[in-house]
Amino acid sequence: MTLALIEPLAQPVLGAYLLTSAVLLVIGVVGFLTRRNLIIMFLCTELMFQAAALAMVAFGRYHLDLSGQVFVIFILTIAAAEAALALALIVLLYRRKETLNAEAWTEMKG
Amino acid sequence: MAPTILYSACVLGAVGLYLLLRPAPRAVTAAGGLLALGGLAWLLKQVAVGFGPGADVGLDPFFVIFSLIAVVAALRMITHSRPVYSALYFVLVVLSSAGLLLLLGAEFIAFALVIVYAGAILITYLFVLMLAQQAPQPGEESAQPEYDLVPREPAAGAAVGFVILALLSEMIFSGVPQLDPALSGPEAETAVWVELEQMPGRFEAEINAVEPGFRFPPERDPLTGRLIRVDEQGAHVLGLVAESAEVVRVDLPESAMPENVQRVGWWLVHKFPVSLELAGVILLMAMFGAVVLARREIELSDDEKREAAGLRRLALEGYPEADSEPAGGGP
Amino acid sequence: MTSALFVAAAGRLMMTAAASSPTGEGGGPIPVAEPLEGMGWAGLILWLPAIATVLCGVCAALRLRTKLPGWITVAALGAAFGLTLVLYAGYESPMVIHLVDWFDLRAGEWQFSFVANIALYVDSLTLLWMLFVTGIGTLIALYATEYMEADVGKGYARFFAGISIFLFAMTALVMGDNLLMLYLGWEGVGFASYWLIGYYYERPSAVAAAKKAFIVNRIGDLGLALGIYLIWHNFGTVQYADLFNLLESGHYPTEAGGWSIRAIPYLLMLGAFGKSAQFPLFVWLPDAMEGPTPVSALIHAATMVTAGVYLVARMAPVFMLEPSSLVVVAWVGGLTALLAATIALAQFDIKRIFAYSTISQLGYMFMALGVQGAAGGAYHVFTHAFFKAVLFLTAGAIMHGFAGQVDLRKVSGLRQVPGFRITSYTMLYACACLAGVPLVTNGFWSKDTILAQAFITPGPGFRALGIIGVVTAFLTAYYAFRVWFRICAGPVQYEPGPELDEAHGGSRGGFHPHPPRLAINAVLVALSVGAVASIWPHFSGWVDHLIADSSAAAGTAAHAVAHEGFLSNPHAWMPWLASGVGLAGIGVAWFFHLANRKAADDLKSALVANPLTRWLPHALEHKWYFDEIYHALLRAPLWAGGHLMYLFDRYLIDAVLVDGTARLPRLLGKAFRPLQNGVLQSYAVSMAGGVGLVALLVLLSPHLRELLNGWLGGGG
Repeated sequence: MTLALIEPLAQPVLGAYLLTSAVLLVIGVVGFLTRRNLIIMFLCTELMFQAAALAMVAFGRYHLDLSGQVFVIFILTIAAAEAALALALIVLLYRRKETLNAEAWTEMKG
Repeated sequence: MAPTILYSACVLGAVGLYLLLRPAPRAVTAAGGLLALGGLAWLLKQVAVGFGPGADVGLDPFFVIFSLIAVVAALRMITHSRPVYSALYFVLVVLSSAGLLLLLGAEFIAFALVIVYAGAILITYLFVLMLAQQAPQPGEESAQPEYDLVPREPAAGAAVGFVILALLSEMIFSGVPQLDPALSGPEAETAVWVELEQMPGRFEAEINAVEPGFRFPPERDPLTGRLIRVDEQGAHVLGLVAESAEVVRVDLPESAMPENVQRVGWWLVHKFPVSLELAGVILLMAMFGAVVLARREIELSDDEKREAAGLRRLALEGYPEADSEPAGGGP
Repeated sequence: MTSALFVAAAGRLMMTAAASSPTGEGGGPIPVAEPLEGMGWAGLILWLPAIATVLCGVCAALRLRTKLPGWITVAALGAAFGLTLVLYAGYESPMVIHLVDWFDLRAGEWQFSFVANIALYVDSLTLLWMLFVTGIGTLIALYATEYMEADVGKGYARFFAGISIFLFAMTALVMGDNLLMLYLGWEGVGFASYWLIGYYYERPSAVAAAKKAFIVNRIGDLGLALGIYLIWHNFGTVQYADLFNLLESGHYPTEAGGWSIRAIPYLLMLGAFGKSAQFPLFVWLPDAMEGPTPVSALIHAATMVTAGVYLVARMAPVFMLEPSSLVVVAWVGGLTALLAATIALAQFDIKRIFAYSTISQLGYMFMALGVQGAAGGAYHVFTHAFFKAVLFLTAGAIMHGFAGQVDLRKVSGLRQVPGFRITSYTMLYACACLAGVPLVTNGFWSKDTILAQAFITPGPGFRALGIIGVVTAFLTAYYAFRVWFRICAGPVQYEPGPELDEAHGGSRGGFHPHPPRLAINAVLVALSVGAVASIWPHFSGWVDHLIADSSAAAGTAAHAVAHEGFLSNPHAWMPWLASGVGLAGIGVAWFFHLANRKAADDLKSALVANPLTRWLPHALEHKWYFDEIYHALLRAPLWAGGHLMYLFDRYLIDAVLVDGTARLPRLLGKAFRPLQNGVLQSYAVSMAGGVGLVALLVLLSPHLRELLNGWLGGGG
């Protein structure tokens, strides 16, 4: 395994990792746009974070630079903070309207 | 690679996704799933077939397994009608993505991901899900509210997804002109050994593990200014041993190389200390925010609650419309 | 004897038919005016009425409740008349009196010079006109001071301001030394006529009549304006003096036979017909009787309507450039005379009858000018002014006394009503003048001159025209005395008219007529005396001399009349014919309207009963349906066109262009509104999709450009 540390990533393989990351991202986007449950929507944003983290690390591995991984740590931090606040807000919204339907909040229409 | 092939693969994937999204008979969903995965597989194959010269690099089978699991779990996550199951499928995504990270040699991140995401964040989500659960009303067909069952605008969503995927894959496959070439093997190795130098305690321990009587510190390479020298046979140091006056070469084994965890820790402290502190502050603020937000209970009268849930008001004198429909939500 | 006369006339007709076209030469040389200094006081004739207008306007603004505006006007006009007399007394030869510089644009070539100053061109024609204009104007203003007394404090000052401005414009028209001043006066009298016809502006019929007068006049004015332009275009000048000099010398810049020169007389003629109410532009004059009676007397009988005659007389040298234009003038005049006389037979409103009578007599004047008997025409203008003014003023006295009654079926036996004797007898004398009662009336002598000239001057159908004139004389006598026999003779009975004012002591049951007082009676007598006095100029040849000394001389025929024998000299037998015809007409009127009044109704019933003649009474009463024809030909299509334009404007421009443009933003907004449905995810879809598409386009732009080049390059 240590060899893997030193051996650089071939470009096609980098491409494969990036593709996976892209697919996960897209799935997350589609999920965010289609699901109406507020909590699931935020879960999909977490999925998008995942994809971003994967891409970061892949690039870091490609350049044999640890900045990618360090950045992922920070992404993790931010994701955790954001999840906490988002969930608090969802709880508040739920208390207002007794429903988790994202389409219940349309007062800004027209 | 011709764009048309790329886009057809993306289109396939989008169509499949669309079919998966809608609540439909099992056959359709199965077909959709196959299409989606087929598209992905095709894309991956194209990647493997390659772009640029010297291609046809074989993909690690572990990579294929992990990425497939991740994608399937993600698909299932967004199409499942029960939120708890979605959260669980998300856990699966996290795990497989941790596997991918392991393949990339980022062990610390992989496990941090599992611990933080699957351990902390997802548990929080599950708690909130349970908190916000609406009890099913008696007399309803399914136990799930309608907004969980039917997605909104699946076609638009799939289309947008297709566009973004096409975009990203186009970028991936057309390449970035200014992408610096990767470091070659020996250079990378040298870089890692240099980091060992920054950890004096471990450095000394490793040298002493090979050559107990080594007198620390070793000699500096006049050319590079470093203590560790790397050549074809491996890393070594030159220095004096015990009381002899002659310079001895001590070969450092490969196990002496710092591990990923140590390296990440070193980077965090050495190169990104401010960000580290800031991350801590951010976490603190998030904690404050969450406490403040979730603390106050908003008092709603019965009528307001009923209105918020889409029900009509209770019968009052003078209001003719007093019939209430079967409530769609709980008290 | 009558048949012999006709045989002789027919023989003469056949003899002269062989050589029938009028010759091109006119009378003697055209006398041309010389500029004269030191006569600036003559300008006061022009300025005095203008000052009176301003003063009357001041009185109106100060809301005076006295008759002061009336006296101001009478004083100004009297002074103008006095000055005219002085001018006449000191007159030797034609002169030009320069007053104020107006247009003086000279730029090298004659085609680009335009000179038109405020100056007076005084020759004998001018003086003839000015004498009766200012004289009769003063008398009628005096009459109006009493006639309009009911309106003191309300519209009195406005009325006299109108009279004054009318006289200012008429003076400018007659005394101006160039065609531009004539046009100024022309338009000015048209405006004054409009203003004064619409004096009772609260009456919709009066307002409509004023508009009709103005609009019909406008049609004529177009001809006049074009004629003036063509005169300037061809001769380079609009001043009479220069123009006559040019025509005299025969050296004018453009070729004489050019179409634009030949068109000038026809265009001027159109203007004259509009102003003087000849066919086809006569329909405004009867309606103009909606104005107060002094206005009808002054403007529509004596002065304004003679402006057309003045124009033709003044521009006689121009008319002589195209001799056939005079033929047209003659025929139009003659036919109009007959037409108007036939209509007058069947009207009941005496003012209307007199209006048609005016049209008919104006037709005589034009006929005279057309057969190159300018002297006869001018003399008839002169005499007609007197007796027509009397007729209208007596009609006014009747209206004044009987609360606006003008229907001749409703008033009878007036000469036995106390206080109306002067009215009745002056009316008798004026009707006699109109009818041409032999020897004692001025109308007889002037009409005779015209009719005789028609048989003298060779011209296409001029003999027939003369016969038409004779027939018209018969009709004229009949309708004139129809009025008098009905109103002033017979048993006394009367009804008050529509202006019965309960507040001023009138009531239907116990109505007492209000007899005219000093001012009215004095004016009536003065005018009648003037009518008598105007017989004398015929014998002294005064009018002939005046005409010969003016530019109208060009329009006088130079045909010598053989004085041998009775039958070959129309001047000899015409008086007999005319008097016989006139007396016959009076006799017929006496029969139907005094001796046996029912006979008129019986005759009418007989005509109506007979299917062949049923249409005749109706046609005559309805003025030969001219107004209806004009309505169908002109007004109705214009209304339809206007309505069409309204629809076009409302449904095409307003609805489509204006409202449509206004609705467009709203429609666009409505189209885009569903995008803003308030759901977060739909916004996210749009955003993500948009970003993706844009980025994709940016990424693919090199490929797309190649593709496009391939398509376009390969195809084109």
